[in-house]
Amino acid sequence: MFSKIDALLRGEEAVPWRVLIAAGCMAGFAYGAVMGFFGGRWLQSCYSGLKVPLLLLVSTLVCLPNFFVINTVLGLRDDFAAAYRGVLSAQGGVAVCLAALAPLTMVGYLSSSHYTFALVLNGTMFALASLAGQVTLARHYRPLIARNPRHRIGLTMWLVLYVFVAIQLAWVLRPFIGDPSRPTTFFRETAWGNAYVKIFVALFGV
Amino acid sequence: MEAEKEKTVSALKQFACEIDTLLRGGFTRKEHLKAGTIAIPVRTLILAGLVLGGIYGVMMGLYALSYNGVDGLLQLMATTVKVPLLFLLTLLITCPSLYVFSALARSRLSGTDTLRLLLAAIAINLAVLASFGPVTAFFTLSTRSYPFMVVLNVVFFGVAGLVGLVFLNKALTSVFEVPPEPSSPPEEVPEEVPEEVMDVSQAEAEEGAKELESMKKIQARREQTARRDLAGRVFGAWLAIYCVVGAQMGWVLRPFVGSPDLPFQLFRPRESNFLAAVFRALAQLFE
Repeated sequence: MFSKIDALLRGEEAVPWRVLIAAGCMAGFAYGAVMGFFGGRWLQSCYSGLKVPLLLLVSTLVCLPNFFVINTVLGLRDDFAAAYRGVLSAQGGVAVCLAALAPLTMVGYLSSSHYTFALVLNGTMFALASLAGQVTLARHYRPLIARNPRHRIGLTMWLVLYVFVAIQLAWVLRPFIGDPSRPTTFFRETAWGNAYVKIFVALFGV
Repeated sequence: MEAEKEKTVSALKQFACEIDTLLRGGFTRKEHLKAGTIAIPVRTLILAGLVLGGIYGVMMGLYALSYNGVDGLLQLMATTVKVPLLFLLTLLITCPSLYVFSALARSRLSGTDTLRLLLAAIAINLAVLASFGPVTAFFTLSTRSYPFMVVLNVVFFGVAGLVGLVFLNKALTSVFEVPPEPSSPPEEVPEEVPEEVMDVSQAEAEEGAKELESMKKIQARREQTARRDLAGRVFGAWLAIYCVVGAQMGWVLRPFVGSPDLPFQLFRPRESNFLAAVFRALAQLFE
């Protein structure tokens, strides 16, 4: 397993997708568990552990049909297996990177009990992990783009749709960290809402 | 009974195969278009439009279902029918004028083949739309905002339409391209002559030939550009007609999403127009 994860990070050999999903889920769970452990709450830790892999998996699944059709229409069907592997590997890369950052988060939690600090800390970790995902994705896509520049369109469309869905899903799956002053819950009572409308209102105060 | 079942399964498989080939561009290769044929039956294309549009219609109608029980179910069924109908009716209305314009521009496609090409563009459009279905369903489950759903659907229809149009534009360019001239027999290439041997008159003659050749090339290129411009103009005319009719058809067939505040209606009373409504939804979204 470890050698496979190593191969995934280096992008040197094709990792079987079952291993990829298993590794992604485990690594995601590991980070989520640490993330939810803010304030020493076991149940929240468990919930968050489930949520991180869920976030990665569901947003990928929701966007996959469109990715398939777009690639087909662009005439890139012969490369679809490679493109699909690249996309999955990127998810795996994000999860593995998150898991590797988990100890840092733990130290951060130990050194401060401010909820806002926890929010910023985790935000940074996720930003770093998505950079790792980008690196993995770019590594898989480089030979594809060299073969056919149209892969760039497919990649852009995937990224736009994926980020659009993932932001909303992350919003729905809140809380990830869990405000210690509120009871432990899987979903936040008022979570059903629209991230984009909220962001707009927060920005412009309409 | 068994045999019948098998027959249906194989028919379904063939249907899926044909759609797949269409999406991969297998029916609209350059050589086919230059010959002016598109080898996919109209019936398959219409069926594909109905099925793919229906899939997105179900996803689109989920929003109404999640709000008002029985009324929502009616809305879902209506939307399922309306989405493919929107595209097919628009085509039905615009097809004659589209055909006349392309024939005036001396397109290489016959009437039926023009219809097939347009239907193929619609099928591709609807396939992309159907592939957005899960995203629409996901947002339906996680959002309550009606204006957001309206805007989201407009964006998805827009993107899917764009893909269909890119396909159509590419196909049209091939249709109007000048067929390659029957290649003249390969000229006898003289063995490389040492420069000293070549006398002046020969060199002059060669230069003249070269000039003529380049003139011919320029001429051919000009013709090619002219044809391409023509393809662009036909495409522009099609686009204008199709978009205006399509947007208005969408408006006439409302409601698609189904406002949670209104009871089920098959059609809404005629008022206003498409663009005004999109702007209103955008304004409401951020209220």
